[in-house]
Parts: sequence; C-alpha cells; structure tokens
Amino acid sequence: MSVQAIGPPIRVRGPRTRLRFEHFVMGGAILCLIVLVVLPLLTLLLGSVRGEQGMSLENFTEVLSNRLYVNALKNSLILGAWTGLFSLIIGVSLAWAVSRTDVPGKGLIQVTASLSYLSPPFLTAIAFVYLFSPNAGLINVLVRDVLGLPFLTFNVFSMAGLVLVTVLHTFPFVYLLASSALLSVDASYEEAAQILGASKLRTALSVTAPLVAPAILSGTLLAFVNAISLFGSQAIIGLPGRIVTLPTRIYALFDYPPEYGLASALSLLFVVITVVALYLQRAFLARRSYVTLGGKGARPQLMSLGPARWLVFGFVVLTFVVAIVLPYSTLIAVSFSKSWGLDFWKGLTLQNYKFILFEYNVTQRAILNSLGLATVAATIAVLLGAIIGWIDLRTRLPGRKLLDYFALIPLGLPGIVVAVALIQFWLAMPLALYGTLAILLLAYVGRYIPLGVRAANSSLRQIDPALEESAQILGASWLTTMREVTLPLIRPGLFAGWLLVFVPVIQELSASILLFSSSSITLAVAVYNLYETGYIEPVAALAIVNMIIIGAAIFVANKLGGGRIASRSGATQGLAS
Amino acid sequence: MASISIKGLTKSFNAGDDAPAAVSQLDLDIKDNQFVTLLGPSGCGKTTTLRMIAGYIVPDAGTIHVNGRLISAPGNVVPPDQRGMGMVFQNYAVWPHKTVYQNVVFGLKLRKIPAAQLKAKMEETLALVNLTGLEQRYPNELSGGQQQRVALARSLVVEPEILLLDEPLSNLDAKLRENMRVELKRLQRRTGITFVYVTHDQAEALALSDHIAVIHGGRLQQYGTPQDVYARPANRVVADFMGLVNLVPAKVAGPGTLEAAGGLKLQVALPDGIKTGDSVEVSIRPENIQLSVGGTGARATISERTFLGNITEYYASLDPGPTLRVQTHPAQVFAVGDKVTVEIDATQCSVFRSSAL
Repeated sequence: MSVQAIGPPIRVRGPRTRLRFEHFVMGGAILCLIVLVVLPLLTLLLGSVRGEQGMSLENFTEVLSNRLYVNALKNSLILGAWTGLFSLIIGVSLAWAVSRTDVPGKGLIQVTASLSYLSPPFLTAIAFVYLFSPNAGLINVLVRDVLGLPFLTFNVFSMAGLVLVTVLHTFPFVYLLASSALLSVDASYEEAAQILGASKLRTALSVTAPLVAPAILSGTLLAFVNAISLFGSQAIIGLPGRIVTLPTRIYALFDYPPEYGLASALSLLFVVITVVALYLQRAFLARRSYVTLGGKGARPQLMSLGPARWLVFGFVVLTFVVAIVLPYSTLIAVSFSKSWGLDFWKGLTLQNYKFILFEYNVTQRAILNSLGLATVAATIAVLLGAIIGWIDLRTRLPGRKLLDYFALIPLGLPGIVVAVALIQFWLAMPLALYGTLAILLLAYVGRYIPLGVRAANSSLRQIDPALEESAQILGASWLTTMREVTLPLIRPGLFAGWLLVFVPVIQELSASILLFSSSSITLAVAVYNLYETGYIEPVAALAIVNMIIIGAAIFVANKLGGGRIASRSGATQGLAS
Repeated sequence: MASISIKGLTKSFNAGDDAPAAVSQLDLDIKDNQFVTLLGPSGCGKTTTLRMIAGYIVPDAGTIHVNGRLISAPGNVVPPDQRGMGMVFQNYAVWPHKTVYQNVVFGLKLRKIPAAQLKAKMEETLALVNLTGLEQRYPNELSGGQQQRVALARSLVVEPEILLLDEPLSNLDAKLRENMRVELKRLQRRTGITFVYVTHDQAEALALSDHIAVIHGGRLQQYGTPQDVYARPANRVVADFMGLVNLVPAKVAGPGTLEAAGGLKLQVALPDGIKTGDSVEVSIRPENIQLSVGGTGARATISERTFLGNITEYYASLDPGPTLRVQTHPAQVFAVGDKVTVEIDATQCSVFRSSAL
C-alpha cells in the first residue's frame, strides 16, 4: 500500500486472560444493583419474620387478621379495581377515537393524556379538595348555598372522590398502550375480514379487539398498580374520609414507636399484589408481539361518526376540563387569593408567592434538593441502565438474565415499600444515611432503575453490534468504543430515559415522605407538609412553583436531548435490519 | 506478511451434549499474502470461524496462531482490539454518527499518527477505494456501494496484516457486486494483505480466491485452489455445493469402469479403496455432457428446455434411469421429446462412495 509503514499492530501482548477496565465497570454496576435493590429487599424479608423471640410469622398473622390491616388491604384493592375499570373505559374510548374515527381535536386528546400523566397526582388531589371538600369546597358551597341544590354536592373525601382523582392520573397508561396497539394493527387485517363479508362491528369484535386486547389489559394492570401505589392522593383524600389504604397504613406504622416488623410484613403483602399484577401485565404484553408482525404499512381505516363525532368530542373536552383545566385553574386561582372562597376574586394578591419564595425558609432548600436529586438520580439510573443493558445484550456473562430481572424488580415496589426497606437496611449499616440526601438518592435510583435499563435496552437493540466490533478490531479499547461509538449512538434513547426518570423523581412523594429530614426535604414533601399544616393559599402557590419547575426541566431536557443524531437516525435503522 | 495457522478449532453454542458444534475440529493453514475464502451454506460455521480469528468468540478447543504467535486458545484469547487485524462486516458497520473522514481516521487516531502523516495516509486510502471528495459526507448520504468502500478504507488505512471480510458484498446489487469483486481482488494484490473472506456464494469464491476452504456442518470439507475444489471435489458435499452437478448412482463393473442406469458407461479413475462391485456416486457437471443426435452412447429423451441467454439448459432423461441436467451452447437446439445421445467427458467426473441409505 505505502512505503511509509504505519507500524506494527499496537499493544501486542501475549495471550492471557486478565482483568480489563470494563470488568471493573461491569462489576461496579452489578454491585450497585445489589446494594440498591437486592440487599434492601432481603432486609425487608428478614424484618418481616423477626418476632419478639427469634424468627416467627407473627407479623404476618397480625397483618392478615387485624381489621386495621385487612381493611387497608381491602380498600387498596377496591381503589385499584375501580381505578382500573374507569381507566379502561376512558383510555380505550380515547384511543379508539384517536386511531379509528374522524373525531375533531385529536391533538387535544394527546395533550390531555400527556399532561394528565405528567401532573403530580397529589397536586390534583389538593385542587379537588379546594373544589369539593364537603364544607368549604368552592363548588359545593356554590351548589348548596348559592343555588340551593344541596343534593348536588359531592364529598371528595370518599372512595368515589379518591377514584376520580386517581383515574385522572392513570387513564393515560391504558390510552397510550391501546392507541399504539390500535395504530399498529395493519389495515389489511381488517380489510381481509371485510372482503370476506364481515360488517364493521363484526370486524372490530372478531379481528381488531382480539389483536389489541393484550395491550389494553396490560395498560389496565399498569393503571391498577400505579393507582394503589400513590401515597399522596390516598393521604390527602383518603385519610379525612377515613379510607385507610396500604400506603397510608404503612405510613402510620412509622408513628413513634415505629413498628418495623408489621410495616415489613404489610409491605411484602403489598409487593405480592403489585408483582402478581405486573407479572400478568408482562404476560399479556408478550402476547401482543404478533400484532406488529404484519404491521408494516399500517393505515388504519377511519370510521366516519357523522354528527355523533361532536358527542365524542364533547367527551374529550370534558376529560380535558376535569383532568387539566379544573385542577390547574383552581390551583392558580387559590395561589393568588387572599382567602379562598366564593369571593376569592375580590382580594387577589402576590403575597402567597412572596411568602413561599422568600419567607418560608423551606422552599428554596426543597427546590434545590429536588432539582439536584432528580438530576443526579436520573443520570445514575440511566448510566447504570446502560451498563446493565450492555451486559445483557453484548456479553455472555453467566447470570446476565438474572441481572436483568433484578433491575426490573423495583417496578413492582411501591415507593413506600422502597422506603420501608431502605430505612431498615441502612439503620442496620454502620453508615448513618437515614435523613440524608443520600438515602433519598438511593431510593430514587433504586425505584426508577427499571426505566433506565429499559431505555438503554431498547436503544442498544437498535445498534448493530458490528458497529462496536468494528471499533474494537481497529484497536479501540472498551472505554474508547463506548465513548466513540456506543454512547453517541444511544444518546437520544438515553436522554428519553433520563427524562422518564427525572419527571417522576422530581414529584416523588411515596418514598420521600418516610425518608426526608428537615435538611433533605424535597419539593413534593414540602407541598404535602404545608398542606397538612393547613396553609391553604400558600400551598397552591408552592404547587404552581412546583409545576413551573417540572415544566421548565422537561423543556430544557428536551432541548438538550434532541441533538444532531436524531436527524441521522435513518442510517442507524438501516443497520439494524 | 502474516500467516494464520488454525488447529483443532471447535466451538459449540448450545451446552447440550449432543448439540451439533458450530465449528468442529477445524484445521486450516493460511499462507502469507493470500486471498482465502471460507465457503459454505449459511449456518455452516464459516462466520463463527472468522469471528474466532478476529477474537470476538472464544473457542471451546483448538488454537489459532498468527505468524507463529498464539492468539486464541480456550481461556486464553488476545482481545480483538489487540490483534491488529481489520474487518469488514456484512452490513458495513460504518458509524452513522461520523463523517467518512471521521470513520476512516478513527484507527489512525488510536495509533497516534501525527497530523501530517494522517492526512496523507487518509487521502491515499480514499483514492485507493475511489472515495476522494466525499470526506465530509455522513453515511446516510452515501449509496450502499460507497458505504462498503468506507468500511474497506477504514480497515485498510491502518495497514493490517490480515483483513477479515464477512460476506461484504451480499448487500450490494448484482452489478455493483461484480465491480467490487474485481476491486477487492486488485486491492489484495496491491496491498499484499492476507484476506480471509467469508461467503456463501460459490461463484464469488471461485472468482476471488487463491484458496477456498469449503465448510459444511462445522467441518472443513476441502481446502484447495478454486480449480481443485471445482474439478476435483473431495466428497459429494463439496461437489454438490460447488455449482450445478448431476450425482448419478453407479456400480463398479471392473477396474476403472462404471455402469449406471440407462446404459451409461464411464471409464474413470477410481479413488483408493473402491473395488469391483461397490456402489458409488459419480458427479457429472452439466457442462461436461455433450448431446447429439445419432451418436454413440447412452440414449436419452429431452424432457425440459430452459433458455438462459449465454447457454441453454436441458433435462435429458436416460431411458430408463436418472434425468441429467445438461448445459449446451445456445446454438445447439433440441426440442422437448427429441431422442438424443449422451456423451460424458469422463476425465472431468469424480467418483464417491455411496452415502449410506
């Protein structure tokens, strides 16, 4: 080729198996996973069987026989069932309207679903209390005292109120899975049924419905699991209505003196429910795979609804108003009021914001804590996820599937359960982490690591291993290959995963409520505490500040994450074939 | 520059005891400055072998030496990034987030080549693969053939002693494939790099290689020049794989004499160990059969005719007996149903012991 030689192959060494840098990185990731997930869970198990004298099942007997706990279990199941049912009805209707009809305002449906999903459920709960608390709720006062129609009042402190507030957060799970399934059903499946003489209804029932049923069921189960895990709304709505659920009961067990054994046993019971539900969910979703097989040029047929489409549109608008407009306009209105009530508009003020931002000394600390924790937790979760995903997909390490399972376990762990496990584990350790930012970080990373793993996993699957191998054969070390090839290629996916962790972390309440201290307080806890103390108007101001921060963070992350690579993703896809 | 010596190479992916090994007891000596092709149907183990040479896969047993230096043995493997080889992948594996320039220069930067030399090297290599002027393009702005050249340039620019190519032409369309074939062969001559080339396309293997290693079922079936492998296949698997062939059952009637059904008689050199009375199979290439009207030899009836442009293919049914595929010059025309005489160039036939029924 050329006279001037490039030199012999680099770094020629005799063959011997030795530890390389990547082995340390991988080992570190595995160790992190063990500390984050496996050990706390084992502590939880141990704690639940530790009785007064040695090992015993007394905690479980107590939990399964005492009405206090059985009622909590019952309430959680009732809440989950109703929420699942209504999520199913709303989610499927909206998904069907978007993907199969000519209903106007499809953009509005998308917006409603995304905003409902992103809204912190405890803020919605607070807003509904402002409107529907039995005595002072604005709408109740209006209906009862002004219009004189007392039978039209609605007591939000009831199971119905709790279900309403929860559904507003969980129907997007069904909507998202159902609409993507409906969109991926190739029109030719439906056309094939029609050409054989099947009516539209018959086609929908015998072809479309079975194809999308697994996705819909899977979404419903996700809604169920999320509904029963939410601490905030269950405390804000449920407790005043004397509806105690599993998270609030577990929380109460930490009143002095804390009942670790009972809390652990109740937590495990909780986990059994969520794990069974998630297992079913995965089983249903796995059956979905055949839908996409033929779905190359999916162009679903749109049904013409005629005048009925305005009825459907009305339903969409109603959902939007109840889920978004009502809670947020209420929070905004309260935040500018001197005193919340029918005449609130007569005394508008900025005093609440001034108090929250400058006089209440917790706010600034909470904002900094939350932003810092969410940033660091999302970054760690995504990086750990990338390494674990890489081990799973690119190595033949024995036990790598097990690693993948461990990384998915936290999906089935409600926030309060994570907190119960972490408290016990770290109290037993010589390291004083309880009450620090570090234990919150551990809780967040541990809880949301599945999102990081999944984001990394799905991006890595789209990267042909040959892209990495070709760097390797040119002499690139593992680190160089990662830096030059793998990470730049999966960057968009990792950014999406980062946001997916960041958003729930910044509004996390279920685990934080047991783990915070006055110095490590977070934004969500600050809102909750202020609400509990009875500061009605300032809470709304803090809630709005909270929402602005979430919105700004999403905006910034989206700007940063877009990047140049997305525009060239076509090339990557070509390689993935 | 570099020779490769493979001994007893074995790799099995399924842990089961009776699971067939992907590669089994493979011995191969690749000499310096050669174009060697690993040829076989998909799943035969040729890519596994190549990936063991590259170091991506650890063998279960056996060794690989390069220039006498051990680079692969079970539990004792030099990682790919320290082998100084080059590899071109089936799907090119050109990095989509780097320009042509960044792709090609990657290996040079790893070797800390000074900037001036780097630029010269880079331009020289791009000229070698006809990519001059496309430095700033991204891969998705290039055609498949151009991406393939980028992959080649990226591997060649670091002057590896060994270049591994895994079905590099299979994603190109027929015309481009032919052009690249010529270019690859020329490149190998000019650079003196040892090329190890994996393909399932026997025509490609015949056209390119100094030596062909025919692999089937994880085992090496034959290793020889293209002429050898084509004209003197070592067994019926090789005969069958190397292009069209008629495999006709026959009996040994006497020393060097075969009799097949339909009155077909052949005088051939018999392999060792085959005696009178044995059942054998004789492989006859379609182009070594002459059809004529009224000649001497076995009689047959034309049962099918396919015009292929440069040749015409006939199915000639011996009476009674097997049907032979025959390729003739298109000027020679027979009609379906014509009675013809079949003459076979026995010097071009190979005889194998009958496979057990």
